[in-house]
Amino acid sequence: MRKVFALLLMICLIFTMTGCSRKENTASGPVTITVWHDKEDAVIAVLEEAVKPLRPDINVVFEKKSGMTESLKLVGNDKNAAPEMYFFAHDKIGVYAEMGVIAPITDFVDVSEQAGYVPITVRGAAYKGKIYQMPLYFETLLFMYNKKYMKEADIPATTEQLYGYMERKTKYGHYGFVEQHSTPYYAAGWIHGFGGSILSEDGKPGLNAPETVKALAYHKKFVDYMPGETEYATVNTLFTEGMAHATIAGPWFIPTVRAAGIDVGIAPMPIVDETGLPLAPYSGVQGLHVLKVHAETKKAPITAVLTTLMQPEVSNKLAKVSGCAPALESCYAQDDVKNDVLIMAMRSTAETAVPMPNTPELDVMWTVAGSLLTDVNMSGYEVQTAADSAQKKALELIEAMK
Amino acid sequence: MKKFIALLLALLMLPVLPVMAESAEMIVVYAQVPDTWAYPCAWSWNAAGENAFAAWPGDMMEPDAKNPGWYYIYVPAGMESVIINANDGAVQTAEVKIDKQNAWITVMEDGAFEAAFEQKTEGDIPAYAWRYTVWAKVDPSWEAPCIWAWADPAGTNAFAAWPGKAMKANENGWYCAMVPEWCNSVIINANGGTVQTADLKDLDPADLWITVGADAAAEITYEDPNAPVAEDITVYAKVPADWEAPCLWAWSHPDGTNAFTAWPGEALTAGEDGWYAITAPGWINSVIINANGGTVQTADLRVEAGADLYVTVVSAEEAAVAYEKPAE
Repeated sequence: MRKVFALLLMICLIFTMTGCSRKENTASGPVTITVWHDKEDAVIAVLEEAVKPLRPDINVVFEKKSGMTESLKLVGNDKNAAPEMYFFAHDKIGVYAEMGVIAPITDFVDVSEQAGYVPITVRGAAYKGKIYQMPLYFETLLFMYNKKYMKEADIPATTEQLYGYMERKTKYGHYGFVEQHSTPYYAAGWIHGFGGSILSEDGKPGLNAPETVKALAYHKKFVDYMPGETEYATVNTLFTEGMAHATIAGPWFIPTVRAAGIDVGIAPMPIVDETGLPLAPYSGVQGLHVLKVHAETKKAPITAVLTTLMQPEVSNKLAKVSGCAPALESCYAQDDVKNDVLIMAMRSTAETAVPMPNTPELDVMWTVAGSLLTDVNMSGYEVQTAADSAQKKALELIEAMK
Repeated sequence: MKKFIALLLALLMLPVLPVMAESAEMIVVYAQVPDTWAYPCAWSWNAAGENAFAAWPGDMMEPDAKNPGWYYIYVPAGMESVIINANDGAVQTAEVKIDKQNAWITVMEDGAFEAAFEQKTEGDIPAYAWRYTVWAKVDPSWEAPCIWAWADPAGTNAFAAWPGKAMKANENGWYCAMVPEWCNSVIINANGGTVQTADLKDLDPADLWITVGADAAAEITYEDPNAPVAEDITVYAKVPADWEAPCLWAWSHPDGTNAFTAWPGEALTAGEDGWYAITAPGWINSVIINANGGTVQTADLRVEAGADLYVTVVSAEEAAVAYEKPAE
């Protein structure tokens, strides 16, 4: 019955859209909605299947675009070159909003906690009081451990327990825990665990804030039990080759880990003993954004596409193929989601995770924060001095950017 | 009534389930070998070309304490053929078809065999446990080394009686033995158990190498000390004019071992031909050229280990690696 009702609604919507397109003085006949993206085929296949019923009136074309974020900066305001929508993480919202490239998504559909979205996804989609993204799924970093080495009783509930485990098990060439300690995206969890930040939600650097400095100083003692070089491939290989007991990594790492024959477990992020806060990693929210240049002329078909793709079934299927967590709260009542340890761990981490800032200032922060982490963790600089210097550099770069 | 029958069936099934679950994943191969066949091993494969073990002669079989003369080993349930061998692969049977079943193979002195698929040993078949290999190099005064292994603090022993399992001698001077994964503590002993190391506790269930001195002191590593060691190499670099005092930062991927203690690494020396140069350990396989106190740098450059390198840096974003000096 629900399906029939949905179909009727869809038909009504299409009729409305056809009427609108005449009023909007657009070309008659089928409307093409182009969506730029950078996603894997399996994810796009789900979306393509979902929008099939909109044909022949609306033909949705998903176009994989290399260098998409730069292309949007160049042609985002050109109605002849820009797509109607793009599918990407939320962290570029500030840049495109400031450039006038994207339109508030709430001009088309309701994206809010009241509409059933997981709070962190709405926070990620918001910029200066407006919502610019229709979230589809999100990811957070996860605490992963090798069950062969780390037994149930050893799973650290707190950072001091983790440190004790590292002291005990980092020996003879094995590591108790490894992470990309000098990469800002990964180190951010520690900084948030002390109440600090790399960049605040309103775009202010927090590199020398007392909380951040305290986090960096505390984190350093963990770094001393990790390999000196911890770039992405090194950390991941240490874990997949059984040389590290535990790590923090994204859900995208799980298929590789399982293919390597590792019996992997997922545990909650340890709580910082001093603050009582858990390590709180950044979260990335993937979703659809509408380009302003087409917002008025194609409002009805864009609304129809968004309405189709915001159904929980779509979100569920996307979660399965992407290994990420659905953006809609109602999906978590489904058995296949409830029984997925990985997804539920992300849902749980989302309670404390921090959406990656989406302000334009973030662009310059990755380099500055990365240098600060290198200075502290690898070059042995005094933390406060290094943090003051990095904060100064960040402010200079932000000023220059303006 | 239906419910009652279902319940009865379920109860009848209970003792069978663990065996079925076990047999769904692994099967056991037993072999009874002549006394002259030392440290018997099994090599196993299937028609799909999958091997149960990484390299010939396969993994060592475990003696079954309850059935003297019999050894056993578990292989994945999809295995179809096995070869029993011993004396470092010097003696062996022909292919024994086991067709994914538990098998009991009696081997004659000349390698001939008889295979049975009904249990020929007494008592329960020992439970499956994944095993890891412990290697030991002992002082020459330590003869016939053995390993004693247990789970700490539970106190469960892997072997029936002290001094434990005899370790097999190998050509490279290392002795080896396999122990069940639930063991996290070992003792290496010798001379009939009259000399021994201290308790070596809190070990990971992973292959490990233990070097034992005459004073019984033990050094442990999870990294194979017999792995080939690369000789030093020279890293040459040509950098843009505004890159002052270039340095090399280098490490080994994936273990993350750094060649130098702190960023930005070691300074390269300017040569007359415009190339900077520095000597680095041959095991590095990842480098960064940086300059101006580490404030400008290349991306991570993955390189071949053990070979001299020529890195031409055009900018922070662009650098080329060659293994022969590029033509000017």
